[in-house]
Amino acid sequence: MAAKELTPGQRRFSPASLGADLVLLGWFVFSLFPLVWMVLLALKTNADQITTFFAFTPTLKNFGIVLSDEGTRLTSVNFTDALFNSVINCVGAVLVSLVIGIPAAYAAGRWQYRGSNDVMFTILSFRFAPELMVIVPLFVIYNQLGLFDTNVGMIWVLQLVTMPLIVWILRSYFQDLPAELEQAALLDGYTRRRAFMMVALPLVRPGIAASALLAFVFAWNNYVFPLILTGSRHTPVTVAVTRFLGGGGQAYYNLTAAAALIAALPPLIVALSIQRYLVRGLSFGAVKA
Amino acid sequence: MTTTAPPRPSGTGTPPRAPRPVPGWRRGLRPYLLSIPAVLIIVGILYPFVLGAYYAFLNYAAVVPRPVFVGLTNFVEVLSDPVFWASVRVTAIYAVTATVVETVLGVGIALLLNRSSLVGRIFERVLILPLMIAPVIAGVIWGLMFNPQFGVLNHVLGLGSTFDWLGEGRALWSVVLVDVWIFTPFVAILVLAGIRSLPKEPFEASAVDGASWFYMFRRLMLPMMWPYILVAVIFRFMDSLKVFDHVYVLTAGGPGDATRTLQIGAYQNSIVNLNYSQGSTYMFLLWAIVFLTARYLVSVLGKAQRRAAGSEE
Amino acid sequence: MGSLAIRGLTARYGKTVALHGIDLELTDREFFVVLGPSGAGKTTTLKSVAGLVDGAAGEVRIAGRDMTGVEPYDRGVAMAFESYALYPQRTVEQNLASPLRSGRNGTWTPAQQAERIRQVTTTLGIDHLLGRYPRELSNGQRQRTALGRVLVRPAEVYLLDEPLSHLDAKLRAAMRAELKQLGDLSGTTTLYVTHDYQEALALGDRIGVLREGRLVQVGTPTQVWTEPVDTFVARTIGQPEMNLLDAVVDGGAARTPGGGVVLGVGPEVPAGDAVRLGIRPRDLEIVDRQAPDDRLVLRGRVVLAERLGRSVELSIDVAGVQVIAVTADHRTREGDSVTLVAEWANVHVFGAGEPAPRLGAACRPEPAQLAGGAR
Repeated sequence: MAAKELTPGQRRFSPASLGADLVLLGWFVFSLFPLVWMVLLALKTNADQITTFFAFTPTLKNFGIVLSDEGTRLTSVNFTDALFNSVINCVGAVLVSLVIGIPAAYAAGRWQYRGSNDVMFTILSFRFAPELMVIVPLFVIYNQLGLFDTNVGMIWVLQLVTMPLIVWILRSYFQDLPAELEQAALLDGYTRRRAFMMVALPLVRPGIAASALLAFVFAWNNYVFPLILTGSRHTPVTVAVTRFLGGGGQAYYNLTAAAALIAALPPLIVALSIQRYLVRGLSFGAVKA
Repeated sequence: MTTTAPPRPSGTGTPPRAPRPVPGWRRGLRPYLLSIPAVLIIVGILYPFVLGAYYAFLNYAAVVPRPVFVGLTNFVEVLSDPVFWASVRVTAIYAVTATVVETVLGVGIALLLNRSSLVGRIFERVLILPLMIAPVIAGVIWGLMFNPQFGVLNHVLGLGSTFDWLGEGRALWSVVLVDVWIFTPFVAILVLAGIRSLPKEPFEASAVDGASWFYMFRRLMLPMMWPYILVAVIFRFMDSLKVFDHVYVLTAGGPGDATRTLQIGAYQNSIVNLNYSQGSTYMFLLWAIVFLTARYLVSVLGKAQRRAAGSEE
Repeated sequence: MGSLAIRGLTARYGKTVALHGIDLELTDREFFVVLGPSGAGKTTTLKSVAGLVDGAAGEVRIAGRDMTGVEPYDRGVAMAFESYALYPQRTVEQNLASPLRSGRNGTWTPAQQAERIRQVTTTLGIDHLLGRYPRELSNGQRQRTALGRVLVRPAEVYLLDEPLSHLDAKLRAAMRAELKQLGDLSGTTTLYVTHDYQEALALGDRIGVLREGRLVQVGTPTQVWTEPVDTFVARTIGQPEMNLLDAVVDGGAARTPGGGVVLGVGPEVPAGDAVRLGIRPRDLEIVDRQAPDDRLVLRGRVVLAERLGRSVELSIDVAGVQVIAVTADHRTREGDSVTLVAEWANVHVFGAGEPAPRLGAACRPEPAQLAGGAR
């Protein structure tokens, strides 16, 4: 039987491997339990949430409450609207970042022009800058411009999240693309723009999809920007979920869990669908796997 | 081999060509033109950033109708304030502990997953789930679990209903625990990808030479993995310096100032107390810390990458 | 179809200078081969003509028109890249159709396109691969597809970068023979780059030998073969490489240290100068009979005899100097004493230095000088 090739450090069966599997198992119990718990809690009735732990009769009623006017009364935020806001903000932010970021990433990936590194590192530094340093002045500016509690305002500020990600990931994809492919298209008689559209763009499509989806996730998950820069009308889901925590002095653990579950679903689905590209994305193109 | 004359395209021979020269300076400008939109956005973001830094030199607050330039007053005030230093301490403990624990655990998990046991292959698919959930949602979930009376943790662990995970003396470790829960997978998948991209030949060669697994790990694997580990460490350390989301939703900085990290401190100053200048001073100082740390870590990374590239030859 | 003129072409990548002023004129329909080792600047030369090198300067005229600042797509050149540069997301047929659909290489109806692609792919023997993607092709098939993308279209100049390098030896020889007969190639000015001297000799109307960004010799294959300007050109062309023997001049004759080789170099080379004597291994002939006195004669002992099929490669010790000879005579064994002869005209005399310039052909030394050698 042909032995499968092993990567470095990999070993065939040994007595220690059972112990190793047990350690892994331990980690995954720890890792998955909170998620399981969130699902369980979301399925409990008001009575069950404080009297039971694992044995109860599940109900889907909580989701209905969260998404209906009843939830709005409790939190003074309409959760369905919040979902809608999140979608608009994140799709908008990602689209803006793509339109602006693709040419920049292409320029940085193809040419070593004067200042290219400065531009790239300035973009990257946004990723690591403390958010509040920007938020406080933005809070003042937004109030003057009427952008406070608007989707446009959120799309603008979310560029801090989506732009560095998209530009850096796509630059690494463009760098991997041989320049000779576009040169061949130029000599075939196509202009630079058509060569780019015809050759480069289709070939980095996986990179565009992966970085766009990942940027979407991070924009969706952002909390601190909308916490400060939105009021009650254009609140996205992350903020809306926390509203259930302090709802009218009474504990709505089950509703909170249901809201959290709804808010967590899109990122989880996206994450599972782009798993192949995640490493490169999460490391901003630094680790190409 | 036939040498038939090509069918000529409609029209005659080669099409008439009128070369349109493009001046050299315009070709040199091309990458800049492509970057203009991005630069505009950068300016749009840099402006508030610079404005934020400027606030640190004003006495800007909601109660001050006409803020004026006060020089370094805010810095003197903040730097002599024990509350600020408590925040620095909390942030440092938080960032160092979280990064170290996540790195050790993440590398360990990556090594275990690399064995590709059946258990490992199943778990690899769900490894990233905590990482993809919004940290604030993670905070909400853990908050529910931490609840002394109704939370599941005290019940499962048999700690009774008085053990307060977010109480004095414990809260900081509890929020670090949540950070570990969220971000250990980040380190693990980066390092795992790194391990899998290592060249096989040196390992095969030393296995033929009869080297022990531990020797191979220390002398071959670790040096070659080091750049990947460092990338993960840089991301984790710099992110945990500015931690906000899940800590804020779990403790809002409390009890007292036990979990009041620098960003939460800045939030309290600027947004709760509406003292923009003091908040901005916090952020300016945090930014300086992050910037210097980043410069240092990136230079370490560069060296490690060069060394690893050398050891692969 | 058109002429190509290059004057003072330089190219630099950052601080590295790749080309130091290339001058070259190709007449209409000429097939010109640039020969050189890797890193000599061959590809850069082609790409500069195509307008793909940002750091290129100097004059390029295609069909008489100055190309300064003209974009690649307006130059009317077609290029086959050594890396193939086939569009991975497109089939062979779509790759070949690409230049026909751009609108800059004539207007082609779909039927004309299909007919033209069929012709070219049949000629190249890849007509059964039209529906395949580049990833599904062997390297040789990819290379022929890349060549097809050039031949399929009309152009002023074809630029071919090592178009046969990835073929296996047999196919390469076959394609080399066929390339020359391709109607499209013989009808279009072609600048062809290779590191293979056999390709250069077989294909080129003229050959230019490139060394470290400079054209060191331009000439017909015969000129380059029989009168290499220096030891670099001499060694680049021919396999096994030309024998280069160190010698010292003394009174119009050059003598190797052991005295095994003595020949006349003419009176213009001053006495005491170091020279190098060049003899191609295939220009050395083994003789059984008494050595003729109208040729150079070397006597030595066979150190090594490598039998390479039809021919035998011999390493021969001639009075302490190692000489390589190639013969068809399979009777020669290691340890045999042999007599080798070479035409005087095939013995080259080079000066000193690296590379050393060619001073001329050798001639028969005066009897007195020969006697000196026998001492």
